[in-house]
Amino acid sequence: MRAFSVKISLFLALALAATQALAHAQLEKASPAVGGTVSRPSEIRLTFSEGVEPRFTNVSLTGPGGAAVPLGAAKTEPNNQAVLIAPITKPLAAGVYTVHWHAVSVDTHHTQGTFEFTVKP
Amino acid sequence: MPTLKIRSAGALLSAAVALWLTPAYPHAVCGARTFPATIAIDDPGVLDELTLPTVSYVPFNSDGAHEWDASFSWTKTITPGLSVVIGSGPTWEHPGGYGWNALDTELQWQALCIPDAEFMMKFGFDISWAGTGTGTFEGTGGQNTYSPLVVAGLGFGTLPQSLKYLRPFAITAEFSTSTPGQDWTNGNPNVSTFNWGFTLQYSLPYFNSQVAAIDNDFLKRLIPIAEFAFQTPIHNGAAAGVTQTGYFQPGVIYEADKWQFALEAMIPMTGATGHGAGVVGSLDFYLDDIPNRIDEPIFPHGFGIAPGI
Repeated sequence: MRAFSVKISLFLALALAATQALAHAQLEKASPAVGGTVSRPSEIRLTFSEGVEPRFTNVSLTGPGGAAVPLGAAKTEPNNQAVLIAPITKPLAAGVYTVHWHAVSVDTHHTQGTFEFTVKP
Repeated sequence: MPTLKIRSAGALLSAAVALWLTPAYPHAVCGARTFPATIAIDDPGVLDELTLPTVSYVPFNSDGAHEWDASFSWTKTITPGLSVVIGSGPTWEHPGGYGWNALDTELQWQALCIPDAEFMMKFGFDISWAGTGTGTFEGTGGQNTYSPLVVAGLGFGTLPQSLKYLRPFAITAEFSTSTPGQDWTNGNPNVSTFNWGFTLQYSLPYFNSQVAAIDNDFLKRLIPIAEFAFQTPIHNGAAAGVTQTGYFQPGVIYEADKWQFALEAMIPMTGATGHGAGVVGSLDFYLDDIPNRIDEPIFPHGFGIAPGI
């Protein structure tokens, strides 16, 4: 059994030693902040733990009463594929807004989430 | 033999170092919910993962002995919803001695994931192989032990907005039976058990990404957890003088980018379990994000037999 453990360990050590960082894209941070209160946001900025594919990553916004709020095309930052930015094309009225996101990381794993923020009067 | 021990320790260390340097996120993911790996019972996901090691100490086990256990478990996906698990490890008892436990293999099937409900479930079939133990376990188990099992997990993310602070909660549960291949061996009864357990967990990573931002980088990676795991004899228990055993394991899981670490107390729940609080810790690595072909299903598109297979 010890020999078995040695073989397993060596195999894993050799197989994994030179790999790079790829994983599910988990939401690390958002602006407006998750659960936060802001005055007049001009964009939704989502910072993920990994790079995302903007073509397959969706962000949508619903306002008070559940009405859809149009957003501009979401893009990643030029130098940081883990940051996705969706412009808010019209000023938001005061109220509670819900962000829905569905991300596909660069290694094709899917994640999703929802959070709210408040626009103060 | 000391040389072998050194080699083994070196190999384990090199594997651990390699994994430490390999970022990965724990992700028995269903919808917005990530179920972390848990110690007392299994998590409800089927994925490539490595638990290396799990180490536990109980001051007085059911035989009144001090007990140390170490184990590993490696899960390899065959198709996206089907995996094989290999696990084993040594036990030290004083008084009692040392030995490797029997080799366990398990086939797992991810039967269900309902993303909007944050609900997932898997079925498994575990075999503990006779004749693979060593030392104090060499003579035990003249027959295989078979354990069909089911594991399920449910996140509370569907609760209404008025209860948003309860949304990070999740429960998982596992039920199985363990049945030896023979009722009796050399005149001694072999006991079949019903194994059941559940966890209640509160995910601060979920809180941070779904409810309210947490500024503290350490805090937002913690998952306080309480685990319960019991073994109830269902056949030959009386003949063997075996009664229900079980532990309550409160603790916390730290979910890093590359690994997770769980630390829990082990509190005996019945007199037959032992006495005195023990402790268990576990390092877990999620391999399915690592792009090197041992991380992906062997048949990534499955066979079209059933969902995930």
